[in-house]
Amino acid sequence: MNFGILILYGLLGILALAALSRMDGTFHRGLRRAVEQLAVLAPRMVCALTAAGFIARLIPSELIGQYLGSEAGLKAVLLATAVGLIIPAGPVIAFAIAAIFARSGASTAALIAFITSWSLFAAHRVFIYEIPLLGASFLRLRVVSVAVTPVLAGLMALAWAGLVGGK
Amino acid sequence: MADRPHGDESWPAQLLRLGFGKSFWGFAALAVVSGLVCLAVAGPEAFAEVVEDNLHMLASTVPRIIAAMGVAGFIWVMLPRDKLTRLVGQESGWRGLVIATGAGIVTPGGPAAAFSLLAVLGGAGADRGALIAYITSWAMLGLQRVLVWDVPFMGAEFSMTRLLISLPLPIVAGLIARSLPLNLRLADEDELQKRPS
Repeated sequence: MNFGILILYGLLGILALAALSRMDGTFHRGLRRAVEQLAVLAPRMVCALTAAGFIARLIPSELIGQYLGSEAGLKAVLLATAVGLIIPAGPVIAFAIAAIFARSGASTAALIAFITSWSLFAAHRVFIYEIPLLGASFLRLRVVSVAVTPVLAGLMALAWAGLVGGK
Repeated sequence: MADRPHGDESWPAQLLRLGFGKSFWGFAALAVVSGLVCLAVAGPEAFAEVVEDNLHMLASTVPRIIAAMGVAGFIWVMLPRDKLTRLVGQESGWRGLVIATGAGIVTPGGPAAAFSLLAVLGGAGADRGALIAYITSWAMLGLQRVLVWDVPFMGAEFSMTRLLISLPLPIVAGLIARSLPLNLRLADEDELQKRPS
């Protein structure tokens, strides 16, 4: 149990009370919608999380980290963006991998590109939540809209490192 | 919800069909195949480790997703749609993108909460630029993720650098989304028309 989940349950309690107090079936309709969405997501989520754990284990993080050093500049940013695309897992695994990259000598710009790319494209999220809840046409619009974002973030970090003389 | 609920089906049967549709079996196959590859490549010890991690992950995710779906369900039925449309609708301009980016930063919870809220916003008539700015902002800048994961793993200085650099990017993404000539048809639109609630 952490802070985030306490907030979430607190919010749920407040909303449920607000819905109940209307006495017009709002509570019942809200509950029904919640159960329907849960039925769609829960079975897929169990499978996707399981697969994500196995796939993350198979990615050679230390080896990749060695190619992400500051001397590689833009190339490191592009490689980090590509690696971020293929991490199909939540923050536990993604940040553990980012920490391994950092220990293996990755530059700040490459790490920023990696985290940005992962946060925008994490495949498990796309398949578990985005396609069932929003649909394929939303996914298409979003992917085109943010396609350059991780590289942009990496380039800005490179420029920033040039200004302040960091790595 | 690609396949539409059949009118004469009982509710539990509908739920079962929604839960175990085609894409579920795709996920199940992926889990089995990746597990077998992991067992073959990394060995039984590593396999057992991953299984244990996976169980922990599931145990912590299930309560979150239940709460998130509940929150989204109640917001869905109680949201004042006309007010929201004024705030982040078609005519909201720059202000709409900035509001959406701010909302993404403060949305607590994981993808279950953020994506169901996004579906609610889309169903309520939010503009496509605002939708893209919101989910991009949540993904890149979500404060809860930054505080829980970014700072402990990567350090405060790195996290600050990343946040400052990323701050304008959701708005840029929203502007790009507005200018793209792509059709957008949300998954919920059919349902919304069938069951105006």
